[in-house]
Amino acid sequence: MKTALLVTSLLLCVFCASTCQIPPVPPEVEKVKSQENDLWRAGAPIYAAEEYALYIETLRVAREKLIKQNARLRWFRDYKEVRADYVVLLAQGDALIEKVQAEKRTQSKDYSQRLARLEERMGKIKSLTRSMNENAPVRENLARAAVVSREAEILIRDEKYSDLAPKLDLIDGHIRQAEEALFSILARYADDAQVARWRKLAEDTVSESRRRGTTAVLVNKLARSLTLFKKGKEIAVYEIGLGKHGLSDKLYAGDEATPEGRYRIVKKNANSRYYKALLLDYPNEYDRRQFALAKKKGLIPAQAAIGGLIEIHGGGNDFLTNGCVGVENAVMDRIFSEVAVGTVVTIVGSLENAQKLLTGLGISGS
Amino acid sequence: MKKFSLFLVLGIFVVSLFSSCAKQPTQAIDTAKAAIEAASNEGAVVYAADELKKLNDDMQAAMDEVNTQDKKFLKKFGTAKEMLAKVQADAEALKATIPAKIEAAKNAAIQAQAEARTALDEAKALLEKAPMGKGTKADIMAMKADLAGLETSFAEIQTALDGADYFGASAKAATIKEKATVISDQVKAAIEKVKGR
Repeated sequence: MKTALLVTSLLLCVFCASTCQIPPVPPEVEKVKSQENDLWRAGAPIYAAEEYALYIETLRVAREKLIKQNARLRWFRDYKEVRADYVVLLAQGDALIEKVQAEKRTQSKDYSQRLARLEERMGKIKSLTRSMNENAPVRENLARAAVVSREAEILIRDEKYSDLAPKLDLIDGHIRQAEEALFSILARYADDAQVARWRKLAEDTVSESRRRGTTAVLVNKLARSLTLFKKGKEIAVYEIGLGKHGLSDKLYAGDEATPEGRYRIVKKNANSRYYKALLLDYPNEYDRRQFALAKKKGLIPAQAAIGGLIEIHGGGNDFLTNGCVGVENAVMDRIFSEVAVGTVVTIVGSLENAQKLLTGLGISGS
Repeated sequence: MKKFSLFLVLGIFVVSLFSSCAKQPTQAIDTAKAAIEAASNEGAVVYAADELKKLNDDMQAAMDEVNTQDKKFLKKFGTAKEMLAKVQADAEALKATIPAKIEAAKNAAIQAQAEARTALDEAKALLEKAPMGKGTKADIMAMKADLAGLETSFAEIQTALDGADYFGASAKAATIKEKATVISDQVKAAIEKVKGR
């Protein structure tokens, strides 16, 4: 009888074990697993580190509860609390994904704007170098900045924002070096006293033209312009080209600089190798004094000669002269017909202080 | 009958005793963790980030199984051991693939460096024979300066290669190649401009 009872009990247990409904692990558990993977791929550990750490901690606690339930005998498992925790986690994860995406959008916008500002600076400097033949150190730094800028563009495209800050700093560094190189070229042009001297020279030339009723030529090196005056009145403005170091004041032969000062046309050559040419009386007395002083100070090679043959000639304004002022042939025809031997030609660096120009680029110049 | 019941109770007691005394597979855990660490140190963080993440997830799943069994009265670590063994095997397999991945990245970077060099040399050669005449001399001089800047940047590829930053080296090389090609195209256009006169 006892044996029958024992067997019946065992059979009952086996029956219960096979027919009793065992609560399944909530589907939210798998969903969270996949969600956590998505969060990691989206870069949550980088773009929402604090929230992601909190999410992982909540997940750890929920997992502990899941483990606890899984460890119980299957008939006694109750996943209600576990499910509730994982539902909360899913909501937390969804919010986190949105935050990560929002953060990435913000970073993309911020970095794109910073990069655009840097590229704008590069563009401004580059445009200045186009009218400046001594641009090599500036262009070199701009080229280096352009390489890093392209790398930064690719990082933004690939959403690798964490690597961007140092790249942007590097671009900024190269731009600063380009600006410094630019400033070293334009420093003279940002000097008030120097600009005032040039202005005075130009005003005297125009006044003389007005007073004597003569024609005068004013060359502005920084503005790359040649202005023709008749009886003190501006009658035409033309674009010019200069030498490799056209923005520097000429000191000696072969320096490829264009002299600054008051000169006169000493010869009109209608058959120049550069179409037509107007020979100037460079070097004048002032130039000779400056040359002697520079030589004495050792600023120029001991064997250097003062040079000469500075002309306004045709052949075009878009090529490098050896210190002369180049204009288009059609312009040369017009000038040639308006001037005579003895016409005053005043060459100045600039009539405007370049500080304004440099400040526009964000260079203090001080 | 009494004897049978006694043996049954004793049997259950013995089985329970042995089961509850089953210990955590600590050695398997340590080995699997060490294998992941080794793969990570080999460079999986950079060269196989997704696979490394999967390994860590699998390790977590194995640890969950260990902890689940640990809380049970009748502990069975068989499944956990299997999971840990798989993690260890996967980690070792992953580690074995890393040198090839690094080598591939390195070769790609060296290839990109060579292509950048070729592009720079081509631009340089074109600039050398470019006619420095009317309308081109200033442009050619500016392009030479641009090229000098690219040459300086080119040296940074080697620095990246020496620092085992192969992806960085490749990206820089590709950019320099792109910029040098632009210069070559501009020189060709300048040459055409002169020819057209």
